[in-house]
Formats: sequence, C-alpha cells, structure tokens
Amino acid sequence: MKPLSKIAAARDALMPAWTGLQQRIKRLLALFGDRYDARGPRLRALPMKHLRLMLMADDLPQASLTLAETEQFHPDPRPPQQQQLGQQPGRDYQEIYQQARARLEKIARVVPIDPLPALDQVQVIAPEMLVRVNDQLGTRWEEVSRFEEIQRRLDEDERTIHEQELALENFANLNLDLGALRNKTRFLDFYIGLVPRENVNRLQGAVALADHLLFTYLQRDTTAHVIIVGPTGEKEQQLQSVLSSAGFQALEIPHSLAQQSPAELKQDFIRRRQLLDRERADCVAAIAAWNQTHAAALLEARRTLLLAEPLVMLNPTIRGTGSLAVFSGWAPAQAVAALEQQLHHSLHFPFALEVRDPTPEERSLVPTVVTTNPLLRPFATLVQQYGIPHYGEIDPTPLFALTFLLMFGMMFGDVGHGAVIALASWLARHRLQSFAYFGIAAGGSSLLFGLIFGSIFGVEDWLPALWMAPLHDPILMLKVALLWGILFIVVACGLGIYNRWISGQRQAALLAPHGAVNLLFYLGFIAGGFGLAQHGAFGLWPALIVIGSLLTLAGYQWRHLSGPTGEKLLVVFIETLDTVIVYLSNTLSFLRVSAFSMNHAALALAIFTLAEMLGSFGTLLTLIFGNLFILVLEGGIVMIQVMRLQYYEGFSRYFSGDGQAFAPLRLRA
Amino acid sequence: MSAAAHAYLNTRVSIMATRLLAADRVSGLATQELSELSDRFGLGEVLDAQLPTHAKSRAVEQALIQSLLAEVNVLIRPMNAVETALVLSWARKFALFNLKALIRGKLHHLEPSAIRDHLYDLPPRLRLSNQALFRTENVLELLRELEQGPFSLIARQAREVYEQKREPFALEATIDQRYYAELMRQIMQFQGASLQPLRQLFGAVLDRVNLLWLLRFRLTYQFSPSETFYHLIPSPRLLHRERLLALVNLDSLPQVLEVLPPPLGQLMADADSIIEVQRRAGRHLVTEARQILSQSASGVARALAYLILREMDLATLLTLIQGQLLGLPVELVSAALDQAAPEAVTIH
Repeated sequence: MKPLSKIAAARDALMPAWTGLQQRIKRLLALFGDRYDARGPRLRALPMKHLRLMLMADDLPQASLTLAETEQFHPDPRPPQQQQLGQQPGRDYQEIYQQARARLEKIARVVPIDPLPALDQVQVIAPEMLVRVNDQLGTRWEEVSRFEEIQRRLDEDERTIHEQELALENFANLNLDLGALRNKTRFLDFYIGLVPRENVNRLQGAVALADHLLFTYLQRDTTAHVIIVGPTGEKEQQLQSVLSSAGFQALEIPHSLAQQSPAELKQDFIRRRQLLDRERADCVAAIAAWNQTHAAALLEARRTLLLAEPLVMLNPTIRGTGSLAVFSGWAPAQAVAALEQQLHHSLHFPFALEVRDPTPEERSLVPTVVTTNPLLRPFATLVQQYGIPHYGEIDPTPLFALTFLLMFGMMFGDVGHGAVIALASWLARHRLQSFAYFGIAAGGSSLLFGLIFGSIFGVEDWLPALWMAPLHDPILMLKVALLWGILFIVVACGLGIYNRWISGQRQAALLAPHGAVNLLFYLGFIAGGFGLAQHGAFGLWPALIVIGSLLTLAGYQWRHLSGPTGEKLLVVFIETLDTVIVYLSNTLSFLRVSAFSMNHAALALAIFTLAEMLGSFGTLLTLIFGNLFILVLEGGIVMIQVMRLQYYEGFSRYFSGDGQAFAPLRLRA
Repeated sequence: MSAAAHAYLNTRVSIMATRLLAADRVSGLATQELSELSDRFGLGEVLDAQLPTHAKSRAVEQALIQSLLAEVNVLIRPMNAVETALVLSWARKFALFNLKALIRGKLHHLEPSAIRDHLYDLPPRLRLSNQALFRTENVLELLRELEQGPFSLIARQAREVYEQKREPFALEATIDQRYYAELMRQIMQFQGASLQPLRQLFGAVLDRVNLLWLLRFRLTYQFSPSETFYHLIPSPRLLHRERLLALVNLDSLPQVLEVLPPPLGQLMADADSIIEVQRRAGRHLVTEARQILSQSASGVARALAYLILREMDLATLLTLIQGQLLGLPVELVSAALDQAAPEAVTIH
C-alpha cells in the first residue's frame, strides 16, 4: 500500500472520532456562545436587541398578532422620550377587552364552556368586532345572571325552610297558639324573623324607641331568631324602615299551623324541599338548554378574546400621535431578522423598525431568556427560587446542577439508596414531570458515590470501594471537603467578578466585597492557613497580601460611607472584621459535605447494631424502617444542606437574581 | 409586643409627632406661596406635572394619602398581630372611600375611566380587588364580589340593606357604621395597658361621629328616633347607648346641645349650627388625641392618635394647596380651614 493511501485510510478511520470530538467541542463552546436555543444549556445570557416599531395605528392588531405568533417579542413598558407621543391609541381596546373577558369568566362560572380547540387560522380582531363580542357577552351575561339569581334564591329559600323548621321546633314545647302570631291583632303588632347577630343589640334599642320589644329566642352561626312585639299605631311605619336597615328577614308562619300535627308539619317541610329540588332541576335543565343554544357563540367569543389578547398585553407600551403608533420591546438578536420578515409579510401599511443594542444604563431592564432544557428545568426552578439571572450575568443553572449533584452524591453516597431514589423518581415520572429527572440524577449521583465509597444500603463489605469508605479515614474526608469548599468559593468569587465587570461595574468588580481584592485576600488567607498547618507559621507573603487587601477593602468602604468619622470608623472596622469571619466560616461550612458522608455511614451502622439486638422478624423490620428513615429524613436534610451551600456560599457571591424573565407575547391557546 | 419593640414604637411616634402642625403654624402656612408649600412638603414632582387643576389637586391628595399610609407602614412594623390589625382597620377607611366611589359610579352608570379617576391608589394590604370590582355590572354584583374578600362582613350587610331598601344612603350609612363597629370590636379585644387609652381615643372619635350623625339624621334628614339610633354606634365614653337613646328623642339643636354631658356640653354651648358643632367637636378630638399622644404609655394608642392628627394636618395642607391652585383669596382659604379640618377624621 502506498504511503498516501495509508494516510487516507488512517484519515478515514479517524474521521468519525474527529467528528465526534468536534461536536463535543462545539457543544462546550455553545455554553458560552450566542446560539439561540432556549432548550440548550447556556452559561452566558442570550444577546438581546431593543426594537422600536413605528407603524400606522390601523396595523396595531395585526402587528400584535404577528409578534405573538413569533413568540420572540418582550414588550418594553417605558414611555417614549418624545413629548408628541402622548396618546395611548389602544386604551379603548383594552377597556373593552377586559370587560368582555370579565363577562365571559362570569358566564363560565354558571355555564361550563368547552375548551378552545387548537387555532386553525389566526385572524385580526378589529375594534368593531371586539365591541360586538363584548355587547353579545353583555346580553348573554344578563341572561345567565338570571340563572345565577334563581340559584341564589333557591339557596336562600332552602335556608329559610331550615330556619323555619328550627323556629317551629323551638316553639313546639311552648303551650302557645303560634297561629295567632301570623296576623296582627287589633292592638298588637308581631314580627317573627331573622336578623344578623351583630345587629340585634342596636335593633333592640331602635325598636324600643318605637315602643316595641325584641326577644331573641334562638341564635345560630351569624343569625339570630327574634320576635318583635309592640302596639299597633303610628310608630309601626318607623319600625318598617329600621327593620329593613337591620336586614330583618320575616319568617313565614304557615296558615294551618294550629291545626297541623308535628308529623304533618314535617311532611309539609319535606314537600316544600321537594318543590325546591324540582325548581333546582328545572334551573339546571334551563341552563343546559341555554348552553346548547349558545355554546358555539361562547366558544367563538373565547376565540375572539384569545386573538385580541396580544394587543391588550402590548397596550401599556403603545404610544402614538394621530394615526401613527409606536411601541418597543426586546427580542433575541438571532430572532430579529425573522421577526422583521414576518412583519413585512403581514402588515398592510409601511412601518419602520429600529434595532439597537441595549445601552449599559438599561441593562437592568433587559429580559433574560431562561433555559427550558427539560433536563435542566428542575434545577432552573430551584435557581429561580433565588431569582432570575440579570441580563449579562452568568446563568448559574448548569453550574448549579453539576455542583448540586456532586455535593448530594458525596453527602449521600450509597448504591442502594441512590438506586431506590432513581427508581422511585422513574416510577413516579408522570406525577413528578420534569422533577423526575432531578430525582433520577440525584439518585444516580448517590449511586456513583456509593460505588466510590463501596456502600450499599449502608453495608460496606459487599462491594469493593473504588476509593474508600468515609469512616475509613475521616481526616482525609474532611480535607477533601475543605478543598472542595475553597474551590467552590474561588469559582463563586470569580463568577461574581466577571458578572460585575461585564455589567460595567468595574470598580466594584475589583474593590467591592467578593471582588478581585477580596478574592486576593481569600487566597492569601488560605495560603497563610496552609502554611500555619504545615509549617507552623502564617508566612510573610500571605500576611502582606491579607493585610494589603483588607486595607484596600476598608479604604473602598470608607469612600462609600457617609456620616460622622467615628461612625464610619466603627462601620469600616466591623465590615472588615466581618469579611475575615465570613470567609473563614464559609470555608469551614463545607466541612458538612464530608460530615454528612460520615453521618450516612454512622447512621447505617447504628441501624445494623440495633437490628442485631433483635430477633429475625425485628431485624427485618428495623432494617426496612431504618433504611426508610435514612432515605426520607437524611435524604431530606442533605438536600436542604446542599441548597443552603448553593444559596449562601455560592449565589450570594455572584448571582444578583434581580433580572426579569423573557416573557414574549404569545397566543395562549 | 416586646419591651424593645414597644420602646422602638414609642420613639418612632415621638419622632414623627414633631412633624405635626401646631395651630399657630397653620395660619403661617396659609400665607405661603404654592412653591414654598411644595418644597416644604415634598410635593414638587406632583405640582410641577403638566396637569389640569382638577387632576393636579387629585394628584396632591393622592400623594398626601400615600405619605400617610407610608407612615402607617412604618408604625406597624414593631406591632403584634392584634395591634397591626387595628391600625390597618383604621387605615381601611381609604379603601372604603374607593368602595363608595365604585358604588356611586355603578349607580350613575359612569364609564370605568371616570370611576377610576376617583379612586385612590392604595398599598396591596389595604386595596380592594379593584379590577374584579370594576368589571361588575351593577351595585348588587359589586357587593357580591366584595363578599369574597376581607370586606365580606361590610359587603354582606350592605347588600342585604340595599336589597331591601334600594337606597344609596342606607348603603353608605351601613358601610360607615360597620367600619366603626369593627374598630370598636377590635379595640375591645385588647387587654392591659392599651385598652383604656384606646377606649379614650376612639370614644372621642365616636362621640364626635355620633353627635354629627345624630344631628344630621334627626334634624336635616328628618329620620325617626328609631332609625337614627339604629345608624349610630354607642361610644365607650360620653355618648353611650343609654344617652343616645335619650338624645334621639329630642327634636331641635338647642335641646340636644343642652343635655350633652360635660365636657361636650360646655364645648357646644351656644353653637347655633351643625357646622359650628362639627368645628368644635373636631377641636375636642384634637385635644383628646394630643393628650393621648403626650401622656399615654401605650404605643399603639399613641400611634393611632398620631395618625389621626397627621391625617387632619394633611387635610389642612390639601385645603391650602387646593385654595392656591384655584387662586382663592387667603382669607377664604383660612375660613375654609377653620370649618373643614375636622372633617378629615370621618369617613362620610
């Protein structure tokens, strides 16, 4: 074979491996790159552009729909600088939409409306069409509110029957002709009824002024049953007005009360209840019939409102003058060209689109595209509990995921327990949804560290450890944790410096707490500590670095404080001391990583010791419940401890979390 | 409340109390230019805005209310749950302003934008669910919607009354009555050192409210004694239940004033109109509130006394600014101040 052929053959053989390597490198670079793919893991924020669209007001509904279809436009609510653009052309549209939507929601409270099928075609909702739908919904709501009123009246009637029953039961033991209370006599005026309890006292005083007496004979929940008795005469009219002010509700006494036996009365109440049930059934049937007639119209109204919504969402940002309208927003840089093309296709009138980069002053207003990668989503949710990355900040999600899994695995390393967590998450994947990945990954990490520690359900004899069991050399474990902590804090500080630098806070990146000088102090401090541990001396250079950096930090703080000199001195002294204490305690805080790995082994040991003390059945029970205890309680505690390390030792150094998520206009169908 | 929180609250109130306007300073303010007033009370941004006079006046009122509510927010920080609830219930009067504006808007079928112009922007913990209430189609629907939230008791009573009487007056009277009744209910839950000063303070508030309502309902609106009594709220101090029962049976202003207990009786002697009674009752309240502010040991009572006085001061300031915005003569504004300042403490 010729040398050239050999080279070609070798190249062909190596080509697949080379291509694979190239793809891996590309994927790695993409973490820092500009590629727009919200599903991909990304450390750097996706570059955004500020868009300002000037168009004819008649094209506003179409423009909003087009932008919603692209799902790439996040409205910017700031008013324009130009004084002339004082009008808000979409205001009426918004008012009508909101009224129509409220009406539809109220109708849906009484009449079930079918869910909207997928939109087959997107259509512009002109203001006139929205007004028409709103008017139709107004009429529909008027009709439906009658059903609601009937239902309320039926509820009220049912309550009255119940109260009447109670009242008559109450009177049953009295030797009293209740029939006589039904009507006024020549001289006496009777009222039997219900009053809200909080009104009884005042009503008692008020009826006394009209020469009447009020007796309360029963109190239930918020209602009191009362009898009001007084002489007939001119003050009767006064009383009527007071009674209605007090929310008095008369209880009707049946005509035949005196002649009816208790059993007959009971039958009478049953009959009245049946009547109510019939009325209720009739009402339900009437609602169903009404729905059958109007279901299609309601669905159409829902569709109309859905298509009108983008313009309403856009409305607070729209300004204009005459027939010209202007609004602005943010879009991913990669999506701008496609977005402009879509606008060219859809708008009827000419428009102008101004595109520019965000200025340093408006960085805090630029939205951040949050990752939607299914594997990272549960981790992103946990990150977002702390906050949304500021535009330009490193998105901590991939790093968070990696370090979370490493720490969880090390603190809870066990093949058996890890496998159980992963399996349980897999089995419950439909219920847990994206959090299933989280459980599987955490279980997997625990399983891998279990192999490293040679631990399965706490037993350390069954598997050969790839490294060693945690209790085999606790000091080494603590050293590893300490090193991990130092690395973690250094990386966190580095990210903090980077975040401030790229957001233009260069002085703060160098001199503020957790800045470059602070990092220098920490490195000097660690070097000094290492020297102290190894050679018994802190060392000259580390001491100089520590003192120099602390003085620099103190000087920076002094410059940024205002107040009397004594107060400034005190604050600077305490802050500087705090820096030393915080970095020392934060580093020691990572010892918990190894402490929990040893704790896991020790807990398992305790359970085995306990199990050995019992009979075979007791052993079995202790082992099962002991392992469940470790899984649930220790697993939960480890999870909390890892979160604590991430939030306090990590995020507080580099992640401001005060950004806003990219929330583009979209059709909510 | 812990001793530290109590000390903090008392110190806070004492510091804030230095902002209160002394009577002699008010007349001095009446002669100041608008620009001086705006600089002094931090209203420059509102007054400099390019707005019509009515809108500017409204914006000033809104800014003053917000400054008062910001102070409420500061004062409740060290308070326990019961004290916080009481102070917030007091401040809820501004939400009731909004509720009344909504009810009137619905009754007169006003456009949502017209109703919105009459609403105050309130902090979330005091706010009505305005958007949902806006979308209601009539008063009954509005009250039913309101029954779903923290105003359920007021709304339920108001709805029942409105369903029976269909009168806006009865509706608003019920809302006011429930507001004060709820305040008194909360005060009676207090124990220990705060109960007595709170009874004293709100006794003075209710004495004033009762006297004015009694005179208006009986003499101006010609309500019957029964109906008048029903709308009043017995005070824990001078105008208690038995006294109100006696007073509502009287038919003229001199008769009522003659039998008022001291010190109200002496204060009201020779008052010849309800306006005059209102002015003197307002002064009495100021005296009572100042006394609690300077002498009481209860932090929550002092805080409320301060807020009541501060609200009156801000109402005075608003009158001054409105007078200046409308270009009214200083004498007229001073006369209006004399009459109007006490009105700030009632939700009517």
